[in-house]
Amino acid sequence: MDSDDDFVASEDDSGNESNTGEDEDGLNVALIDSEPTGSSHVDGNDRMEIEEEFPYEILTTEQIVQHMIDCIKEVNTVVQLPPTITRILLNHFKWDKEKLYERYYDGDRKMLFSEAHIIDPSETTSQKEIKKYLHNGMENCVICCRDLPTSMLTSLACGHRFCRDCWVNYLTTKIMEEGMGNKISCAAHGCDILVDDQTVMTLITEPKVKLKYQHLITNSFVECNRLLRWCPKPECSHAVKVQYVDFQPIKCDCGTVFCFLCGENWHQPVKCDLLKKWRKKCDDDSETSNWIAANTKECPRCNVTIEKDGGCNHMVCKNQNCKTDFCWVCLGPWEPHGSSWYSCNRYDEDEAKAARDAQEKSRAALQRYLFYCNRYMNHMQSLKFENKLYASIKEKMEEMQQHNMSWIEVQFLKKAVDVLCQCRQTLMYTYVFAYYLLKTNQSIIFEDNQRDLESATEKLSEYLERDITQDNIVDIKQRVQDKYRYCESRRRVLLQHVQEGYDKDLWEYTVKLDKV
Amino acid sequence: MANIATQRIQREFSEVTKSDESQKNLISIELVNNSLSDLRGYISGPPDTPYEGGIFHLDIKIPETYPFNPPKVRFLTKIWHPNISSVTGAICLDILKDQWAAAMTIRTVLLSLQALLSGAEPDDPQDAVVAKQYKDSYEMFKLTAKHWTSVYAMTGFDKWRYPDFDYKIQRLMEIMKVDEDRARVALSSNNWDLEKATQSLLS
Repeated sequence: MDSDDDFVASEDDSGNESNTGEDEDGLNVALIDSEPTGSSHVDGNDRMEIEEEFPYEILTTEQIVQHMIDCIKEVNTVVQLPPTITRILLNHFKWDKEKLYERYYDGDRKMLFSEAHIIDPSETTSQKEIKKYLHNGMENCVICCRDLPTSMLTSLACGHRFCRDCWVNYLTTKIMEEGMGNKISCAAHGCDILVDDQTVMTLITEPKVKLKYQHLITNSFVECNRLLRWCPKPECSHAVKVQYVDFQPIKCDCGTVFCFLCGENWHQPVKCDLLKKWRKKCDDDSETSNWIAANTKECPRCNVTIEKDGGCNHMVCKNQNCKTDFCWVCLGPWEPHGSSWYSCNRYDEDEAKAARDAQEKSRAALQRYLFYCNRYMNHMQSLKFENKLYASIKEKMEEMQQHNMSWIEVQFLKKAVDVLCQCRQTLMYTYVFAYYLLKTNQSIIFEDNQRDLESATEKLSEYLERDITQDNIVDIKQRVQDKYRYCESRRRVLLQHVQEGYDKDLWEYTVKLDKV
Repeated sequence: MANIATQRIQREFSEVTKSDESQKNLISIELVNNSLSDLRGYISGPPDTPYEGGIFHLDIKIPETYPFNPPKVRFLTKIWHPNISSVTGAICLDILKDQWAAAMTIRTVLLSLQALLSGAEPDDPQDAVVAKQYKDSYEMFKLTAKHWTSVYAMTGFDKWRYPDFDYKIQRLMEIMKVDEDRARVALSSNNWDLEKATQSLLS
């Protein structure tokens, strides 16, 4: 930072150094360190098939910063404010330029600035209050209580003056301990004016803190911007930029393929809201419900779940409001059983039947869930194993190359595993989709497609695990190729069918969905 | 302790001592073990509240990063208040959390706490039981709070007594073989219904 020395303000300085345009491009100096490099994608290559091209760009951290600066510059050509003020304003509007323009020109300007917690740079009134602590060129910092030369104190545009050390301490605490970036306000009590980048970057000298601050600002830029999303892979620092928001797969430079809408692994055919519901259900239920299904029954009266931990079949519900007596075997009322419950012959008695019906219904719901959950988990598990398969396939490929086959001739194996993984992933999510689907003619077609794909996928998987020898290699190659092509086409058919259903609104669900 | 914190606390000490409120014995602070990071604060219960006449002791811990982080404050004197835990004395007050500003002082904290005693915020409770009572049966809350004040925050002979409460506490102590404080909490939490209080101690 070359402006460090300029910072220590002269005695008659107005107190809002940060705004007095010492460099219009302050933000550039502040936030960019290196020239951007990177790549852009036009999607549609080996990734999905059914969508038209969905253009997007993968950005590096530097490019994100550059993109942010470009956005600010663009807006600045119109509104003509210091860049750091523009950034706060843009952030306030979640980086929606149009909204900013609208409010800036049509609305109440004063209100706009106060909502965004900044002082309008064209207003100068607030700067007058400052001198009140002043005596003999010394001023008191109310944070550290020291009397210091006036030049040691500074303020934001709101005019609350504190000494430089205190500012640095204050900002460092906020940034490093509380992880605050663009929401740091003035240190004075009750003052909500936001600290601008320029002030932070000038005051803070420690590189670690600076870096964290830049990171926080970039992060909030990406999080707020609806056309941007971070790659969900933990160690990846790329973000994707799209031109419009859509349910689409993004392939990051790190190899992760994720859904633009929700940031999860790409989960076609099921959409984000259903997947979210499913995940929640799985988190809440799976283990617990397995256990419940195996070990408990519900009270026939109040439906509370009961575990039988003793031998006696005379049950008394522990629910204080219920306390009903019933027979564990038939779930009917206990009274008629008397002392001879073991000849319990009341299985078909109306009451017991009603109790059973009700219970069966809830059991059936659970069974249904477990059915889908098991298959979902199963494919997920298999998918994990396929990583091992990649390793063993690689060995096989090397082996085959030693047996008079060229490199290009053995590539089909890798391709086959790729297809296998894709199919497994798709299948996995089809069970989530199917779980929420109401039975209609379309859902039957869907299930047929699912069955076809599943059986083909299993066959392919089987072929790949077979031993490949010199003798059967030609035969196997033929079969594997046929099978993976078949799998690919079945998968495409299934996805197309689901997409068609979305387009024509054919799917009916067992749960109510919020319209997106 | 960091230099700046030490300097601040020394200044604040004299600020409190010289303040009007201190002259009128409304607030005061003193050191514990001669360490500037460990203070004891005192506030008097504001007039026209159930806390009137009581002196409430506060434990004030000054963090290393003071004044950029708020001091940690809790009530040492037991108190019946929606925003203060009747068990631990923990306080739910915005300026002691995210609304803390570096320019605030121990004095402003003490005054804010006094203000909290005058105006509770039952919708943002620390102690859910107290808050419920505050909202559902305010008269009962007032009596209970006053009773707690007289028992825990007052010394001397002018204590306010409510014989009915004292009687019930004695009864509960006999029935359940619990100490006085536990009996008082159980009864206070159950609107001084002896039977319910007994039940709550059983479960």
